[in-house]
Amino acid sequence: MFIEPKVVDAPAHALPFKGRLVEGDPQEVPPAVAMSLSTNSQVTFTYREELTHDDYREPKYITAFDPATLIGSPVGEVGVTAFASLSISDGDTILGDYTAKEHVSKSFSIYSQATHKEVDDAARAAVRQKIDQKLFSDEARLAQAVASAGKSPAVSVGQ
Amino acid sequence: MNRARLVFLSGVAIFMIGCAVQGPPFERVSPPPAHAVIYVYRPYAYFGSGLRPEVTCGEDTVRIGPGGYHTFIVPADQKVTCTIHSDIAADEVEINTQTRVSYLREEIGWGLTGVAAIQSNGQPHLNPIDNDTAQTEIQSCVQEQPEPQTPQAQ
Repeated sequence: MFIEPKVVDAPAHALPFKGRLVEGDPQEVPPAVAMSLSTNSQVTFTYREELTHDDYREPKYITAFDPATLIGSPVGEVGVTAFASLSISDGDTILGDYTAKEHVSKSFSIYSQATHKEVDDAARAAVRQKIDQKLFSDEARLAQAVASAGKSPAVSVGQ
Repeated sequence: MNRARLVFLSGVAIFMIGCAVQGPPFERVSPPPAHAVIYVYRPYAYFGSGLRPEVTCGEDTVRIGPGGYHTFIVPADQKVTCTIHSDIAADEVEINTQTRVSYLREEIGWGLTGVAAIQSNGQPHLNPIDNDTAQTEIQSCVQEQPEPQTPQAQ
């Protein structure tokens, strides 16, 4: 059984400005950032993502003698916590700084298995979606900050 | 302790020791330039000790016995997929080799192959382990020796 965080499901869309990715893999960024990439923009994106695993196994000497094991009770769990951070800058001015953390786990029994890759992928997707949500809720301010960047000193704002 | 019990316990101990991999103790490897190291180790456990599921990282495939470890040298700054599979199950984990040294712990869990029989060739797992824990655990493992090559029949 997958236990995933509930993230408000809003369709991803491009940001009202373009940015250049200076750190991170263009294939491994939140969808809104991926849709807003450009190679020659002054605005830059810095994206980092990190996974931490916390697997759990029931001791075998317990599960071996537990009748619930035979009827499909979980004998362990694959768990992963994904941390992500996104910085949007224009030169030395930070326009936005966003961080997110999501935990995803999947239990397994003697009949069903959970692979680390599927849980990792789910955690990555969840944390990227959360970064997207934070970006969308700050979209108007960001657009204004990008438009006024260079004209007047911008104030760094983070979430 | 009576003599029969002593003989029995000695037999069990010898049987369990006999299942462990024999080889040189753990030795850290310096990866060549533009390469990274993935250590896959399997702490000794009696359960499933007769099994040696195939472990593949990148293009290299080995079978690691209980108490053994293997060093995979893979290209750096890439995503390398490591897989392990038995007859009934498999696990897969993706390693980002920007981190030049990674550790995976191989474990065998319960698995059901038939309606009524739990077999010890259960579910193999490859668990990513943080460096601090892994560096302690891998000290008890020995280097897995390559399987002897048998001459092919003409």
